[in-house]
Amino acid sequence: MAIHKILFASLLICLLIQSSHAATKERLFSDLEKSALEVTATPSRVGEGVVLAAGVDKLSITWKVSSTATKEPEFKAIKVKLCYAPASQVDRPWRKTENELFKDKSCPHKISSWSYDPAMKAGQSFDYTLERDIPTGTYFVRAYAVDTKDHEVAFGQSTNEDKTTNIFSVQAISGRHKSLDIASVCFSVFSVVALLVFFVNEKRKAKIEQSK
Amino acid sequence: MGDPSGEPGSSMHGVTGREQSFAFSVASPIVPTDTTAKFDLPVDTEHKAKVFKLFSFANPHMRTFHLSWISFSTCFVSTFAAAPLVPIIRENLNLTKQDIGNAGVASVSGSIFSRLVMGAVCDLLGPRYGCAFLVMLSAPTVFSMSFVADAGGFITVRFMIGFCLATFVSCQYWMSTMFNSQIIGLVNGTAAGWGNMGGGITQLLMPVVYEIIRRCGATAFTAWRLAFFVPGWLHIIMGILVLTLGQDLPDGNRSALEKKGEVAKDKFGKIMWYAVTNYRTWIFVLLYGYSMGVELSTDNVIAEYFFDRFHLKLHTAGIIAASFGMANFFARPAGGYASDIAATYFGMRGRLWALWIIQTAGGLFCVWLGRANTLVTAIVAMILFSLGAQAACGATFAIVPFVSRRALGIISGLTGAGGNFGSGLTQLIFFSTSQFTTEQGLTWMGVMIVACTLPVTLIHFPQWGSMFLPPSKDPVKGTEEHYYASEWNEQEKQKNMHQGSLRFAENSKSEGGRRVRSAATPPENTPNNV
Repeated sequence: MAIHKILFASLLICLLIQSSHAATKERLFSDLEKSALEVTATPSRVGEGVVLAAGVDKLSITWKVSSTATKEPEFKAIKVKLCYAPASQVDRPWRKTENELFKDKSCPHKISSWSYDPAMKAGQSFDYTLERDIPTGTYFVRAYAVDTKDHEVAFGQSTNEDKTTNIFSVQAISGRHKSLDIASVCFSVFSVVALLVFFVNEKRKAKIEQSK
Repeated sequence: MGDPSGEPGSSMHGVTGREQSFAFSVASPIVPTDTTAKFDLPVDTEHKAKVFKLFSFANPHMRTFHLSWISFSTCFVSTFAAAPLVPIIRENLNLTKQDIGNAGVASVSGSIFSRLVMGAVCDLLGPRYGCAFLVMLSAPTVFSMSFVADAGGFITVRFMIGFCLATFVSCQYWMSTMFNSQIIGLVNGTAAGWGNMGGGITQLLMPVVYEIIRRCGATAFTAWRLAFFVPGWLHIIMGILVLTLGQDLPDGNRSALEKKGEVAKDKFGKIMWYAVTNYRTWIFVLLYGYSMGVELSTDNVIAEYFFDRFHLKLHTAGIIAASFGMANFFARPAGGYASDIAATYFGMRGRLWALWIIQTAGGLFCVWLGRANTLVTAIVAMILFSLGAQAACGATFAIVPFVSRRALGIISGLTGAGGNFGSGLTQLIFFSTSQFTTEQGLTWMGVMIVACTLPVTLIHFPQWGSMFLPPSKDPVKGTEEHYYASEWNEQEKQKNMHQGSLRFAENSKSEGGRRVRSAATPPENTPNNV
């Protein structure tokens, strides 16, 4: 009976720890200062219906602190991320936009991170080659400004609030390789042939035995 | 003696309630030992083993057991191999929630048909070739994951891989050629439970293999394709092992097989009729769909659920998901054992109550799992849910042998198919649409389990009663003999074809509960002397 009490108590403690831990995480996106950063993202190829290739095409990204930013003294680092446009979130709940920052999954792809000091108000400009694990979809770029506690305080994005302008399309790599395909076919053929060889061999041995 | 064909449930062992139900061996006076045979284990006159020695690899009996359950487990590994990697695959192939759900449905649907065909294949080629053919011919389907480029391809390949779950049939069939029918119940139950563990092993194995391949430098979208080579190689290895180390019969291979016509072969049409017209069959089809079925569905969704909901790494989600499937190691036999204990006190009514309680408890824990908001409560709820669902599977097959004597094989097959069908249906309704989030889907699945377990209350045996009704007091209709003999018509009874059923009826009297057992025949009169 004592062991049951110990197990129950430890379970209770674990649950309490979990629930208290969760309570501190409710920082909301709507609390962040909007448009504190001005972000532009220009794909290396532009035009109607152009789809960028992951691993090949680049984005020219610039960010700078907007003149209207009020929380600028708190900025300690700028994190630039690739985010899904609404069209890529349909029927895909693992990419959902949530107001609670720790739950939000719409910006999973990190582009780069910059330590910030007040001399950098004019911002940065850099090229980013789309990584090879970026999935097929439509995207925009967002930059978060974080404070010393690594909590987001402000942001800016390359599109408007409804996420309809300046959206670009990316086509993922297929992940397929010729060598993989060939290996796959070889092993499959081996499996079938090995089976048939065994089968025919045993039937032949059985016939020989029976005829003896 | 028990039925020599050794079909699932034909074992007389434990039926009187006086023998320990999960005993590992058959005592000599009950089944005579053939002392001339030179095997590592004591064998009967057909050279089938009388002892189940778990940690032995002795040729041929125990070796067959291990080859058999490992190849069945390998098929579970490959059928559910995609599930823990879905977070990567969905990004590569641009899948929607519907695509992922449909692929899950496809993975369990194929085997509904392949299991039916496998019985015939085993009759024609023998279980060793049945197993080897299936395992080696489905290896190409596993390797073809490297070609998949979109949702359609993904669904098709998962459907084709799912066919290999028919190794369940070859596994059970092969054991029945190697083990005496008195212990075949335990042997087959252990093999089935350990085979199902493959669904848990894969949740651990695939993320680890994927991680290793990634660390070696492959990109994510190539690494998961390479990871599928591992289950593919397992298929080839197991196929070759089965062909080289296995044998069809205790004395050798099938090349010199002669079928002994001891018992007049029954007509398939008649057996089918008695299976289909017994209403209890259909209740069990539904019930198993919500014990085994929900287990298969959960194998498909649980890793992705933990990954998304609790922001875990892929292999952490895999470890947690694995513990769901691994519980099969002891949960399924425990369910059968619980049913046997209930039967010693309350007979068949006890078995029905045990099944209802265990399966309903599993359903309630599933509801809790869907509503759990923290990681720890979710894990606890999931483990309790797994114990409930898997024990319910064991408890179901503790009752199925009593539903019919003549049509037992078909009823067992239909019940098994019901499991896969229930899985497909549940995944289609709750996990394939944007209408429900996965946590809502789990909650509603739990509610559906509770609802679909209620029909157990309708199962009534005139000779033993049901959950709420006592047995019939009619002196003729309330006997075991009447129930089991009613499956034979007058012409067949005149040919004495129903003798097996009458023997079974005599031995099943212990299902009447404690009152019946205390008034039973004295211990020296073993049932096998009837």
